[in-house]
Amino acid sequence: MSSTTPKRLRCRLATFALGLCLMPAASASAGVASTPRAPAVIYAKTCGYCHGQHVAPVIRGRNLPPEIIAQYVRSGPRAMPAFRPTEISDAELKALAQWVSTSKADPKEHEQ
Amino acid sequence: MSGISRRDLIRTGAVGAALLSGNAFASPLDGPRQLPAHLDKGIFAAAVKELRAVVGNEWVFADPETTLPYTKSFTPDPRHEHVPSGAVAPASVEEVQAVLKIANTYKLPLWTVSTGKNMGYGCATPASSGQMILDLKRMNRIIHIDAELGTALVEPGVTYQDLHDYLTENNLPYWIDVPTVGPIVSPVGNTLERGVGYTPYGDHFFMQCGMEVVLADGTIVRTGMGGVKDSTTWQAFKWGYGPYIDGIFTQSNFGVVTKLGFWLMPKPPAFKPFMVRHNEMGDVAKIVDAMRPFRMNNLIPNVVLMMGAAYQIAMFHRREELWDKPESIPDDVVRDFAKKHGLGMWNTYFALYGTDEIIAAVEPIVRRAFEASGGEVLTEKEMGGNLWFEHHKNLMSGQMTLEEKGIMRWRGGGMTCFAPVAPAKGIETQQQTELAKEILGRYGFDYSVAYAIGGRELHHLIFIQYDKENPVEEKKADDCIREMITRFGNRGWAAYRTGVATMDLVARQYGDSHREINARLKQALDPNHILSPGKQGIA
Repeated sequence: MSSTTPKRLRCRLATFALGLCLMPAASASAGVASTPRAPAVIYAKTCGYCHGQHVAPVIRGRNLPPEIIAQYVRSGPRAMPAFRPTEISDAELKALAQWVSTSKADPKEHEQ
Repeated sequence: MSGISRRDLIRTGAVGAALLSGNAFASPLDGPRQLPAHLDKGIFAAAVKELRAVVGNEWVFADPETTLPYTKSFTPDPRHEHVPSGAVAPASVEEVQAVLKIANTYKLPLWTVSTGKNMGYGCATPASSGQMILDLKRMNRIIHIDAELGTALVEPGVTYQDLHDYLTENNLPYWIDVPTVGPIVSPVGNTLERGVGYTPYGDHFFMQCGMEVVLADGTIVRTGMGGVKDSTTWQAFKWGYGPYIDGIFTQSNFGVVTKLGFWLMPKPPAFKPFMVRHNEMGDVAKIVDAMRPFRMNNLIPNVVLMMGAAYQIAMFHRREELWDKPESIPDDVVRDFAKKHGLGMWNTYFALYGTDEIIAAVEPIVRRAFEASGGEVLTEKEMGGNLWFEHHKNLMSGQMTLEEKGIMRWRGGGMTCFAPVAPAKGIETQQQTELAKEILGRYGFDYSVAYAIGGRELHHLIFIQYDKENPVEEKKADDCIREMITRFGNRGWAAYRTGVATMDLVARQYGDSHREINARLKQALDPNHILSPGKQGIA
């Protein structure tokens, strides 16, 4: 994730008391106004920890329908947690589901 | 499609049902909205309208489809008592203040979550149905990392993954300390629950320093040194001046925490992970008595995990691989399967940190003690590549992993944690293990545990794994945890933390004085009782 801290937020922060030193914009983590993350990045930082690490089913390379993937993410069936629009936006989820659906299998991933 | 059943597809929502078949499905959200008892639909709708005006239309969720992710829980809820009415997601402290003003006006209860992934204790679900989730995930800035002091100040929506990435990208020589499921959970959420990790910085609230809280009336408080104009020590010195109030905002509902400070461990030049393997369930007493002096004198500086084999097996394997009957798996069967995978009945993971010389000086001392207790002391040399050794090596060095999630598969996606505290004395630990096994056995559940060893106590983390899809099993799990809480309580053993369904039950065990003082503080700080009513049994 990366983006500049929006000016409005920077001004608000400046009015807070005291000794808060803002991180340089380039390295500050994204606040609410962040640009959508790429599917591969989201997968690496969330999905891939379970799917493909002996924990959950391998989902890449299976042509799973994108609508089903998106549904799973929002509802969290059985052992899977649910992910909310505040964690992954509808737009990001749509792109992620498409990416997973059309991706080739990753030979480094392990079935559960 | 392996691992994905038709049952799952039908269950996952109205959208799914429309896509796949005409079948409706049963869900508490299908019917009338789960409103708080005192709010009618009209008032709720009016409150929602005002909330939308503050945060934007798209950040208030008040219908079954969009509220669905907030209803997910692994813990038992057989009577549907933990269903949210919706969610609101502010983006700033100002928006939080505005939301609280509306909540006070309408008496709308708000259940606050940071990332809402409190998976062993109820996820984002509220202590009572009808509360609206105050979802702080959008407030996700890392506000400040002081590279000299090794401190961090973050917002609730920041995850350990975010922090890890930041430190890596900026080449900062610090480690973070993660709970078992770091990537998707929040340091703020976990610290406020007083959760733990497994490096020397494992006691998260111990390592917390300063916080910013928005009270129910919108007042902003910065605790500790944070109240001082132009302070440069907000994250340097915990205690501040006068009464120390940070604690009252942990495991409570006295305010909305919007910023949290904490300390980062300097990356050590050398780190050596160890595993001590014992073959009998009954060895638990010997292990604890051998470990205690090293945790007290800090020769072993990290929060140690003494893992029961069944819990470990569940991380990477399915129950059917070793046992296909409904009753609890016999110890012999567990032991045989564990042995095939390089595990004993208890596998204790600790690490030494420092320089090679320091580690070389300490190692023989600890080795002697654990070998005398009848354990095999193993290192990367013997266990490198073993999935469990690698997993704990990662936890003890603050790395990212979600492997622990595997345990939820064991009986069908359900899991609830009972976490009584034991003194670090072998005999009492053994007694707790025996009592837990007896109760779990009568319900046909497996003894799946991890003991987290602090300084003079252990958190006995007992994971009741059950089939959440089966209402009979869900009721059993609910009955089981209540019996566990009650019977352990009768022996003077109470939980350090609990899930939304058992907050009152555990609160009663801490006595009337605790409840009385909490009630008085609540009345003073939140007289309309709009903040997470029921949290830890505080109305």
